Amino acid sequence: MMLPAILTSAIFLATLWLIFSEKLDRTITGIAGAALTVALGKLLGFYSETAALKSVDFNTLGLLLGMMILVALLEPTGFFQYLAVLAARLSKGRPVRLLILLGAITTILSMFLDNVTTVVLIAPVTILISEILGVNPVPYLITEALLSNTGGVATLVGDPPNVLIGSAAGLSFDDFLIHSLPIVLVAWFAVLFLLRYLFRRELTIEPKNSKAVMELNPTEALEDRRMAQRVLIVLAIAILAFFFHSRLHLSPAFVALTAAAVALLWVRPNMREMLERVEWSVLLFFAALFVMVGGLEAAGVLEGIVKLLENASVIPPVLFGVALIWIIGIISAFVDNVPITIAMIPVIQGLGASGMKIDPLWWALVFGAGFGGNGSIIGSTANIVVVSLSEKTRTPITAKQWNKIGFPAMLLACVVSSILYVLVYPLF
Amino acid sequence: MIVGDFMQHKVVAIEAKSTIQEAARKIVKQHLGVLPIVDEQGKPKGIVHLQDLLNLELPDFVHFVGDVDFVHDFGAVETTRPTTEMLMRSITTLMQPVITVDENCGLLRAYALMLQHRIFDIPVVNKSGKLVGIVSRVDIGTAILSQWSGVRTKKS
Repeated sequence: MMLPAILTSAIFLATLWLIFSEKLDRTITGIAGAALTVALGKLLGFYSETAALKSVDFNTLGLLLGMMILVALLEPTGFFQYLAVLAARLSKGRPVRLLILLGAITTILSMFLDNVTTVVLIAPVTILISEILGVNPVPYLITEALLSNTGGVATLVGDPPNVLIGSAAGLSFDDFLIHSLPIVLVAWFAVLFLLRYLFRRELTIEPKNSKAVMELNPTEALEDRRMAQRVLIVLAIAILAFFFHSRLHLSPAFVALTAAAVALLWVRPNMREMLERVEWSVLLFFAALFVMVGGLEAAGVLEGIVKLLENASVIPPVLFGVALIWIIGIISAFVDNVPITIAMIPVIQGLGASGMKIDPLWWALVFGAGFGGNGSIIGSTANIVVVSLSEKTRTPITAKQWNKIGFPAMLLACVVSSILYVLVYPLF
Repeated sequence: MIVGDFMQHKVVAIEAKSTIQEAARKIVKQHLGVLPIVDEQGKPKGIVHLQDLLNLELPDFVHFVGDVDFVHDFGAVETTRPTTEMLMRSITTLMQPVITVDENCGLLRAYALMLQHRIFDIPVVNKSGKLVGIVSRVDIGTAILSQWSGVRTKKS
């Protein structure tokens, strides 16, 4: 039974490599990899269409789709623009204050909404604010990406790996608030102080014209007030429902999709335009990865890894968890953290089945996958989005520049979360 | 009704080896909207529009933010100028592909080309491809209207 294991692993690793090297679009890579895995499974008799379908986690897909629809409805209202302009006015054009306010807004938004959308919508206004101030936008753009990656780790819906882990491990929204949020808060402030230090030179340059930001009018930046109000009310109720979803025995996917349905009924948007803003490629990519990892499981690859890791259980469980934060963190800095998370979930479940206490390991996976994304320019989609936007401006962000800021930010967040992980380990 | 009868014969062009600064100087001096770029034989190689030069100063955010109505004061951007180093670059770095018409081209065809390519002036070339004139939407448009019954005045 070695052949299926070797071949499915080869397909999975080739997929990761193609995504990493950006030679092929990740969704195309994923779909091709999934088709190949199923074909191989049928040929060698270890995997089938039915099994492939069963390995897709529809709870994750439902939650992501529901939240994507809510964001797609909020996007054209100018609400994100409104918040960024408000931040600019409150900062009175002072660089450090502006950095903190823009960073905080991006973080709070990305705790409840998709990081990528948040960054896509805040970054253009950031460039606007920097240009009329006469300062370099790069520190603000990098800060937004790093802080939104960091903040997203705090909640069940903040980051795709969290959605995956929450769904697989049965962790509720509250579980994240109790176990992840406090640690993320400390890590977030640590990263903020680090950024303040690393950008100290850029932030002491006096803006050429700090008066102009006071002329920006937030209410004018809000393009559709009525629609924004409606979507925000629904979003607020959805977040409230997330707090109680486990007690009410509702799945997060049900909450998100119901909220999406209510918002759609209330707003009644042009569906064609709205659906264009939903990131179908992300959902397809996830589904394809589920099918591939299902293949890895059926071929016995993950079982092999579990056996290997069981030997490591001689080391204290706390250290095992810390090691997991760092290994997953470093891998996530260079490879998309979604496939890594999807592949790690059955491994941790396998360790659980063999008697290991796995509750703390889920949190190690959350921190590793989340904070690791800061490490390189390709570590998270938010990073890629910010960098590709900056490449169209006069001040493009280079990989070298990113590594000088993002890599220390990742190390610091991993150090902070490791220390706190050890301290609160008995509570997990 | 051909373009050659209505074009401006006096056309200002610039050689490809010129700098952006030289092109800007020419545009300012002659108050131009477009500047064809020609090779040594006087054949059009490309064109720069006033807008292509202005893009050097236009802030980046204008390309990303859909609606700039809420920005009442452009602040520092209003006083930001392209660097001298930037102005010393070759004009070919801003060059756009040029659409030309033959002097025998019909008026409506020339007008349709302008509409489809969203341009306001078309350089006119002769049989051997040399730049011999330029024609604007107004030149062509008024020439067409002048053929309508009762439009042309006695004097013209």
